[in-house]
Amino acid sequence: MATLSQADEAQLKAQLQDAVVSCTERCLYQSAKWAAELLTSLPSADDAGSVTDVDSPMSDAPPPHTPTTVPKDPTELRLEAREAHKYLLAKTYFDCREFDRCAAVFLPSTLPKGSIYAASPPSAKAKTKGKAKLGTPTKPKIVADSTQALSQKSLFLALYAKYIAGEKRMNEDSKMILGPEDGGVTVNQELPGICAILETWFTNLPASGRQPQGWLEYLYGVVLAKGKNETLAMDYFIRSVHRCTFNWGAWQELIGLLGTAEELNQIISRLPQNIMTFIFHVAASQELYQATEQVHSSLTQILSIFPTSAFLKAQRALLHYHTKEFDEAEQIFNNILISEPHRLDNLDNYSNILYVMGMRPKLAFLAQLSSNTDKFRPETCCVIGNYFSLKSEHEKAVMYFRRALILDRTFLSAWTLMGHEFVEMKNTHAAIDSYRRAVDVNRKDYRAWYGLGQTYEVLEMHSYALFYHQRAAALRPYDPKLWMAVGQCFSKVNKVTNAIRAYKRALVAGSYYDAGVGSSFGSGDMSALGGGVLDPEVLYQIALLYERLQDMQECSAYMELVLAQEEGPEYDEATLEIGGGVGVTPTTSKARLWLARWEYMRGMYQRAMELANELCQDGVEVEDAKALVRDIRARIEREKNDSR
Amino acid sequence: MSKPRYLTAPKISLLVLVNLYCSSGIPSSATIPVLSFILSYSYPSAPSAARAPRSDNRQDASCSIQAFEDVLQSHASNMPGRTLLDVFLKHMWEMNSFDALFDLFDRLGDLIARPREDTTQDEPLQRTYLSQTSPLGALVRRARVEFVRLQFDDAIKLWSAFIAYRAPTAQWTKRLAGLASSGVDIVAADMGLEPSDGLYEVAYGHLSEEEDGGLTLSIDDLERLLDVQLDRLQRLGCRVPDEMKDPLRDMLESSTAAPRQAHLVQFFDAWKAGDYTLAFDTLHRYFDYAMQARERIHYQYALLHMAILQADFGCFGEAIAAINETIATARENQDIHCLNFSLNWLQHMSKAYPKQMKRAGYMGMLGSEKEGLAFLKAKARETRTYNLLSATLLNEAKLCLLTGEPVPRAFEHLYQSSHLNLKEDIGNYSCHMLFQSALFSRLGVTYLSGVYCELLLNAYHHGCPLDECLRATGRRAFLVSNQALQRGRYEEALNFLGSIDPSSHRSLKSHQYIFLCTGLVKLRRAMHRTDWTATDALLSSLKPDSSTDPELSFLLAESRIDCLVARGLYSEAFSTIEELSVTLKEEGADVMQRITILLAKADLFRRSGKPEQGFSVALRAASVSFKARLMPCLWIAVGMLANILNSIAEFNAGARMLHAVIPQALENVDHSVSGTLYSHLGDSYMGLAGVKDPSTPQGARLRATHVSRAEMYIDRARECFKRVENLDGECAQLMKKAIIAKLRGDEQLAEEWAQNHNRVWEEGMGRIGHGDTRV
Repeated sequence: MATLSQADEAQLKAQLQDAVVSCTERCLYQSAKWAAELLTSLPSADDAGSVTDVDSPMSDAPPPHTPTTVPKDPTELRLEAREAHKYLLAKTYFDCREFDRCAAVFLPSTLPKGSIYAASPPSAKAKTKGKAKLGTPTKPKIVADSTQALSQKSLFLALYAKYIAGEKRMNEDSKMILGPEDGGVTVNQELPGICAILETWFTNLPASGRQPQGWLEYLYGVVLAKGKNETLAMDYFIRSVHRCTFNWGAWQELIGLLGTAEELNQIISRLPQNIMTFIFHVAASQELYQATEQVHSSLTQILSIFPTSAFLKAQRALLHYHTKEFDEAEQIFNNILISEPHRLDNLDNYSNILYVMGMRPKLAFLAQLSSNTDKFRPETCCVIGNYFSLKSEHEKAVMYFRRALILDRTFLSAWTLMGHEFVEMKNTHAAIDSYRRAVDVNRKDYRAWYGLGQTYEVLEMHSYALFYHQRAAALRPYDPKLWMAVGQCFSKVNKVTNAIRAYKRALVAGSYYDAGVGSSFGSGDMSALGGGVLDPEVLYQIALLYERLQDMQECSAYMELVLAQEEGPEYDEATLEIGGGVGVTPTTSKARLWLARWEYMRGMYQRAMELANELCQDGVEVEDAKALVRDIRARIEREKNDSR
Repeated sequence: MSKPRYLTAPKISLLVLVNLYCSSGIPSSATIPVLSFILSYSYPSAPSAARAPRSDNRQDASCSIQAFEDVLQSHASNMPGRTLLDVFLKHMWEMNSFDALFDLFDRLGDLIARPREDTTQDEPLQRTYLSQTSPLGALVRRARVEFVRLQFDDAIKLWSAFIAYRAPTAQWTKRLAGLASSGVDIVAADMGLEPSDGLYEVAYGHLSEEEDGGLTLSIDDLERLLDVQLDRLQRLGCRVPDEMKDPLRDMLESSTAAPRQAHLVQFFDAWKAGDYTLAFDTLHRYFDYAMQARERIHYQYALLHMAILQADFGCFGEAIAAINETIATARENQDIHCLNFSLNWLQHMSKAYPKQMKRAGYMGMLGSEKEGLAFLKAKARETRTYNLLSATLLNEAKLCLLTGEPVPRAFEHLYQSSHLNLKEDIGNYSCHMLFQSALFSRLGVTYLSGVYCELLLNAYHHGCPLDECLRATGRRAFLVSNQALQRGRYEEALNFLGSIDPSSHRSLKSHQYIFLCTGLVKLRRAMHRTDWTATDALLSSLKPDSSTDPELSFLLAESRIDCLVARGLYSEAFSTIEELSVTLKEEGADVMQRITILLAKADLFRRSGKPEQGFSVALRAASVSFKARLMPCLWIAVGMLANILNSIAEFNAGARMLHAVIPQALENVDHSVSGTLYSHLGDSYMGLAGVKDPSTPQGARLRATHVSRAEMYIDRARECFKRVENLDGECAQLMKKAIIAKLRGDEQLAEEWAQNHNRVWEEGMGRIGHGDTRV
């Protein structure tokens, strides 16, 4: 897998080239772009010139324009040749963004909407408009006939145009972002029509004896996914990627349908075994926050085939980002930026990284850069919004996130980030709204889930918030912060044992990751912890919970643990320059005070005295400590008196 | 490309300087120059009538980095061996990333003084805090607000402009250790970018092609610039100066959205240039845009401007229609100020151009003039529009004078008005000066009148409208030409008129005014020199039309009559006088003008040998002018009366009257009047001498004394006439001398005088020939 033979490479090139052409023919521009990028990121065999490439003995692979892998179906070719002119017309309409007109080139102007299941009388063939006006029940048949007569390419283009037109109209009808008509109220009106046509097309498929090409499957999958018919949609997507492997759009939709890593492992067996599946697997794992060694190594393998692919590099950076290795991620993005200054994809993620790292000048530079490239890209708006957020100008930040959403309503990170801003502005309702939209767009966004939970916590709805925190924790089981949130909620609703378990989980997760830097949230920053140091805050919380359970033994044990974190484990001293322990913090001081009191109550005056004096030395809780010292002295005196 | 709204690269540099000042980086010796530098670029200098605006050209709105260098280089900073410029540039170049620009504005917020309770903390005291309302505080606050309002990409543009702006000072960074490495942008430098890299090209690639002139001027600057222009145009009534025209046009063309004021500037310019169509076009354009920006409230002003414009171009009918509409609209919109102003203007117009207004169908909206004024005065008091009140009081004073009411009342109004001016700081000094000048010239205190004119011209000409400046100049010229204290005063007057700033000729109205004034002075000179060809030429070229200033057209008519009389065309002169007196009566014109006509009539009778008929006319003139304290008229009238008395052989009475007025007339240095009076006095004494019986020794002695006295007065008269270059008068006196000599029997002396007469006549004629070439 690491190295391709020349023949394989030539074939890969041919396939990719064919994919670019076919995607462009079907106006799937993003997929075409992706494939073309991948194509150019292959190392060219000889930099001296491609002329020698052709003459080299290895160029036994077929020339790019006649790829062997995708043999053309003669029926389709015949149909395509017949309607070549009409196809060209439709394509130009699409390119001019006249979607309805494009669809009307191949489809009758009135499409059935929802009446598809009505009985269809044997009204005959012709697709003249006069006939079409006879009444709705006749239409399906007519439509079915007319679509059967079309080549798959033309049918796809027409239906896709219809779909895009519907999306556009839906966006227009949604009006203002977060307005009354925004958010699921409006739906794509064209979906039932497209769905009906495709359904009949696929039911007639076996009878018609035509070879499916995979494109219509992709479109059907998209439509089904929109209609929340997810298992069927996944089937069709898998069918699609079997037929036309290099349509990245289909893979992306497939990623979107995956909820957990288990689902990914389930479907992986149903997928074809080729390089695209590898890329898919890496991308999906990244999206699912599975930043394991295995993923990294397979990514390295793919990168050896496509050494200059910015997409793959960005995947690597995102993997680092998920494991909070910000420096590496920043470095990778920086290199991508230098090599491709006009590339705006994933810059929103880059800005998140810079935000977390607090690199304001660089974030400003990035904003300047992206704004100079294109002011009206959602990524640009997100970068600018992040910059303003870092400057605590939340109103402006919201403005730019809003602009990003106007440009693209499904732009996930803008929704989440806007939610964060609303939290900062204490506008909890708007925050909930935005987070909810983010979750609706992508169920895998743990930050949105966590944000939702936090917002509900602000509203004092702890049991309600619990659900969201659990979702977030399920998405990222190794993030201690999420577990802490769960534990906190549990403790608030008096489920102490559950809370203790959650906190312990957080401890485990915290020792699993050696999280270097705080999270991307402005609130709840964790102090930098060295590896092997347990979070004293968590320990303290556990201790308090045990106190509530009256389990004083456990409680004092945990309190001691908290104190132990001040120094940190010894073996770390050599490797970590920070000094290992967390030092004296308010938490440890509180623990110390508790312990001092505890020892005092137990009658261990000597130890209590020690702890109280330490408190006085640290200069925290001095008043309480002094009072305690006084009490202890009094007790000791009295005991002395008593003993005498 | 569009202009920035307010913030520009120079403004940022100013803010950097303010920041430096507040962090006490500026030694006390440099404080004043630096502060005045900052203020001179951040605030328009307040227009003041009393103080001449600074004439240096530093007020140009775009200040280059060079300006900063000039100011700061000469001052040492707190750090030894460094000039203030070094420190300033250090701060400038320390802004080494886009983020630093944001930081600057964040830090600016700290400069503003907090409420008292916060400042008690132990902050280092060497910082200067700006009060919210101080000029610098306002500057900082405005800048911050504008920056917050800025769109992100506009902020990027600003940043790019700033980089381009400070680029010329790049060599300074080499002197400052530690700054040289960071270059333009520290982030780019950290990423190891070179200007040729693709990424750098994306971020700063447009810097090279950007024309640097465009961004240094914000819309705000431009509007300020236009406001200054407008203020000048509107207040002074001049045109846009030539040297300003081209830059202004360039600036307006370079910005996509020209501010509305640009149209107004163009309108005033076209109006003053006499371009009727363009003026109308731009006026409409301006108000169309103004409506869109604000609400309907500006209709009445549009109409008002239109009315004034129409009237200025002599279309009184249209003007009246427009002003009526203005008044109606202003009433409807309850715009008291506009309403009062329109009424006042209407009042003024009906007085200034009564004939034309009547012809255009104006019937008088406010009843009689007095009632109108009373109404306006009441209105002004009610609405506390002191501007109007002051103007109305002045008008009332004028009315008093014109109708010949007692002078003290006029003074009372005048002083009330000037009290208001002082108290409410109303800037119509020029009106006051002019009025006072006129008042004193009527009272015969010519010197004072001249002084007021000069005061206006020398002290207030920066702040007063061009029109009134011109009027003062004209009046001054007339006074000078009348005084004629010595030979060559005509030249002085003409020089005076010629020395008027050539720019005022660029306005049509003022050009016409200057032309008429010059023509009148020349006409007088020609008449006095009996240069009839020149007189004819001048008279034909000086035909007044309906839009001419009424005062000037009267002066012209008077000169015409004088000319006719002097050439002996009596019947023609009589009919002209009759015509004029009828129209004057119809218009209810100035008392002085009517008296002048009466006097002309009396003179005509006298000359045509019917002194008896002239007697009553002259007597009436004398009594009216005495009542109205029109001293110059009074003296002429008395002179006329004496002359008539002489001609009916009442020499004694004549001499007594003349003796009574001559001292006063001498005070008023009108030499042609005093010459005439002296000559009449000489006549009286000759008459007296003739009455005395020469047979008795006493009578002979008396006759001799009378004759010698007559001779003395004739000599004086000759002197006076000589000064005003009145050839006729001078020759007549010489003739008289010759006759007296003959009477005494001194033939030789008589011959001498006669030759003298001939010589003077020849000289005079020669002067005409000589002067012809000069006219």
